[in-house]
Amino acid sequence: MAINLRTTQAETREQRLGTITQWQGRAEDLARDSAFTYGCARDCGTGGRPLCGLSSPYSQASMCAEQIAVTNATIIRDSVVIQHAPIGCASSQSSTSRYSRDLAARRGWKPEDPRSICTNMGEQDMVFGGVDRLAETIRQAFERHRPRVIFVAASCATGIIGDDIDGTSRELEDELGIPIVPLHCEGFKSRHWSSGWDVIEHGILRRLVPNRPTEKRDDLLNVIHLGGPDVFSPLVNPLGLKVNLVMGGNSLERLADLSIATATVTMCFVLSYLATGLEQEYGVPDIRAPLPYGLAATDDWLRDIARVTNREHLVEAVIAAERARIAPELQRLRKALTGKKGFVAAGAAFAHGLIANLRELGVEVDDAFSYHHDPSTDSGDPQQDSLGHLVETSGDIANFTVSPDQHFQAHAALKRAKPDFVICRHSGTMAILAGRLGIPVLPIFYSNDGLGYEGLITIGRGILRVLPRRRFYEDVAAHSRFPYQKWWLEETNPYALASEDVA
Amino acid sequence: MSGDADMNFQSRIDDHDSGNFAAPPGPIEQVRYACALGALASVVAVRGAIPITHCGPGCATKQFQALSSISGYQGGEFHVPSTNIGNNEVIFGGADRLNELITSTLKVMEAELYVVQSGCIPGLVGDDVANLVNGYRRRGVPIVFAETLGYRGNNYTGHETVVRAILDQYVANDDGPAPQTRHGLVNVWAALPYQNPFWRGDLAEIRRILEGIGLEVNILFGPASQGLDEWRAIPSAQLNIVLSPWLGLSVARRLEEVYNQPVLHEPAIPIGARATGAFLRRVGEAVGIETAKVEAFIAREERDYYNYLRDFAHFYAGCTSQYRLPSEINVVSDSAYALAIAKFFVADLGLNPGVFVITENPPESARDSIRAAFRNLAPDIDGEPIFEADGYRARDLITRKARVGEYPILFGSTWEAATAKEIGAPLVEISYPATDEVVIARSYVGYRGALQLLERTYTTVVRQSTEENPETAAL
Repeated sequence: MAINLRTTQAETREQRLGTITQWQGRAEDLARDSAFTYGCARDCGTGGRPLCGLSSPYSQASMCAEQIAVTNATIIRDSVVIQHAPIGCASSQSSTSRYSRDLAARRGWKPEDPRSICTNMGEQDMVFGGVDRLAETIRQAFERHRPRVIFVAASCATGIIGDDIDGTSRELEDELGIPIVPLHCEGFKSRHWSSGWDVIEHGILRRLVPNRPTEKRDDLLNVIHLGGPDVFSPLVNPLGLKVNLVMGGNSLERLADLSIATATVTMCFVLSYLATGLEQEYGVPDIRAPLPYGLAATDDWLRDIARVTNREHLVEAVIAAERARIAPELQRLRKALTGKKGFVAAGAAFAHGLIANLRELGVEVDDAFSYHHDPSTDSGDPQQDSLGHLVETSGDIANFTVSPDQHFQAHAALKRAKPDFVICRHSGTMAILAGRLGIPVLPIFYSNDGLGYEGLITIGRGILRVLPRRRFYEDVAAHSRFPYQKWWLEETNPYALASEDVA
Repeated sequence: MSGDADMNFQSRIDDHDSGNFAAPPGPIEQVRYACALGALASVVAVRGAIPITHCGPGCATKQFQALSSISGYQGGEFHVPSTNIGNNEVIFGGADRLNELITSTLKVMEAELYVVQSGCIPGLVGDDVANLVNGYRRRGVPIVFAETLGYRGNNYTGHETVVRAILDQYVANDDGPAPQTRHGLVNVWAALPYQNPFWRGDLAEIRRILEGIGLEVNILFGPASQGLDEWRAIPSAQLNIVLSPWLGLSVARRLEEVYNQPVLHEPAIPIGARATGAFLRRVGEAVGIETAKVEAFIAREERDYYNYLRDFAHFYAGCTSQYRLPSEINVVSDSAYALAIAKFFVADLGLNPGVFVITENPPESARDSIRAAFRNLAPDIDGEPIFEADGYRARDLITRKARVGEYPILFGSTWEAATAKEIGAPLVEISYPATDEVVIARSYVGYRGALQLLERTYTTVVRQSTEENPETAAL
């Protein structure tokens, strides 16, 4: 499927990838049925059997695409993000700012508050439209901060009343002379917040990646990541490659270099949109090897980078050195963790990666919780089938639950799993739930923590740090309860309320 | 309560001020409050109540995460039912989906009261939520509806909307005998839950001092409250105490009309022995408690308080040659805390008033009385509050003030870090968002809270002096 950059709006994941947010069963069944959705290069023919999700009458507050798009636009340096919205959408400013300042410290940037402004729409704007207010806000943003780019994020409200943010952005772009990039991230448009990644990546591809065909650099590797410290340079510098780290906070220069790099790797296939677009528009090869979680996968990932960038003669030495470097500590961690039972909760490909890590560390994983599921990636390449790869290389997961961070379902899943610890992303619901149930939890804020050889060490050490906290969590668990009916408190089937989705 | 009284109450409720809220004209940078839907935090703060939110998929989470998770890291029971509105409900209407959610909520969740709150989308597509919720209530379900459309207000006005919904559709609907006034029972309307990071400790301290003079207290929100038992007892109270320049006042006035309960309006939450003693005496008089009882409690508290203050005076007078003790107080906060803290530091600690930026966009009708409350912070010393919700302009207001010889201190939110740095002031986080504070039971009001406020303030002063003057630290 080609990515359509002619329009300002990215197609949602549901449309492009057949993404579902609710499902449960064995991981191998999900992998098999996913492959049949669009067909693949294995035994699935041309596909055409869309993966069916479940549907639950009960649901709890989730998250929206706008938050993802806005957060990741806000942490781009020298930008101002305008949330064209009533004030509540901008409530996320404080947590985004915390994130941004922390990120700056880890990346060696000047820690300062990122710049985001809410147009602060009121009832009168709902009646008469808010584009004048938007234009005025864009002017003020420019006046106040002299940014090099302004993002204009839509909201549910502006989407419904039909404010023309594209038109206003174009007009003000002419007036001010800097790119003004609309982000169509209305929360109601997609069932899953990860569509927000597509929205910001769409905006970047359309407006912030100039075509520079004469400046190709064969030593520059695009690394598209969710966010966090640069754990990639130590891995690929020995191959003579420099890392162009984008998404998860970067300068405009990093984005402008995307089209001249020699290849792209994506560290979480949930973000596959950008790499696919770069290959399609600029011919930058998208390296599609399975993600580097665990020793063997990391070996293969490096080999694939070396192959695509013509550095095969260097790679085996790097692999051997890295393996030797971590071997003693890995052995210590395996000894400490073997036989422990882990529960993984994260978003799709990231969850699959963490499961691979845990298994490599000797941890048993029979239960996992994925915040959504993509039957395919934007490349459509079965190599990027991270769940299929996981099942093939390390075995099935008996209880695989797909749920958009639903507390009540996670409660049932944890009751069923009774793990020794939980490792999770989106620390909101899951981390607190696990702790309150008396289970030690390792929330991963920076998703790069699990990647590569060092990722095994980082994750293993992290788990060992949290295990003793059981003493605290059990105390709290014994003295508090959740306001569920008794039957749900005992329920171990996350989808006990569900029915097959007709859609 | 009879059906007539119910109707009566409802009709009075309908003309409330909160509906007149208008978003301020300008854009807002560094947001300092949530939208009206954010009042779901107030529902979470009522033990036994659960909000049911009819809104987009990220709305409820965003508001609560902002108010609680990141500000003071307060935690709180957030597993809130939500319709997570999608395309389908936008196009075809969301009432059926809400109906399904309410039914399943009743099956899964356990609560004494459900508060249905609607966000922007149902307001725009025109879902008839009131009718749907009324149907459940007619069938005996303890459920109320608060229309908290995000574009129609912030979490302050939303709080009043939620409170009125509970009073009107739940408390006034109580089938029990007509309320009998209980002597010595008071309702307290103070502190916006979660928005004020110290609300839990503050409400506990307010309860403690009122009980100290012999009162029974409906504190209504938070761990110091008995939850809905207190709400059901609201009509029996002898007095409504409003501890805020404006928030809760219209609720109290309405209760005055409906239940003939007098209102004691105290714009400034008392901090420190002077203000707290005076407050307790006014309450004692309003309720008719014997003076001796009130004075005995005040004397006991003051003995402790001034013992501590005596020892603190060693720091404040003598051990300070190397520290720059602040001489001028600046505050960026909502009106309630700005006023209370300004009064305490000006009247009791001897600071000069600096810039006071009021951030919650209070209704126009409340602004004159807020200005009046800032007069006479100490005898003949006036403060001049400025109403500004935008952080960029707030920073300008603080940094552009001419200061000669003053050592400024800044009380504000995390957003004020850059401002504080610019004017060389220590920053004490007292308002939302406070992302550099972990708050559990700390209070900054009353007797005990005042001492904790002094501890936090002067620890901050010492640390800032030490960081900025490493040679001092080395001595």
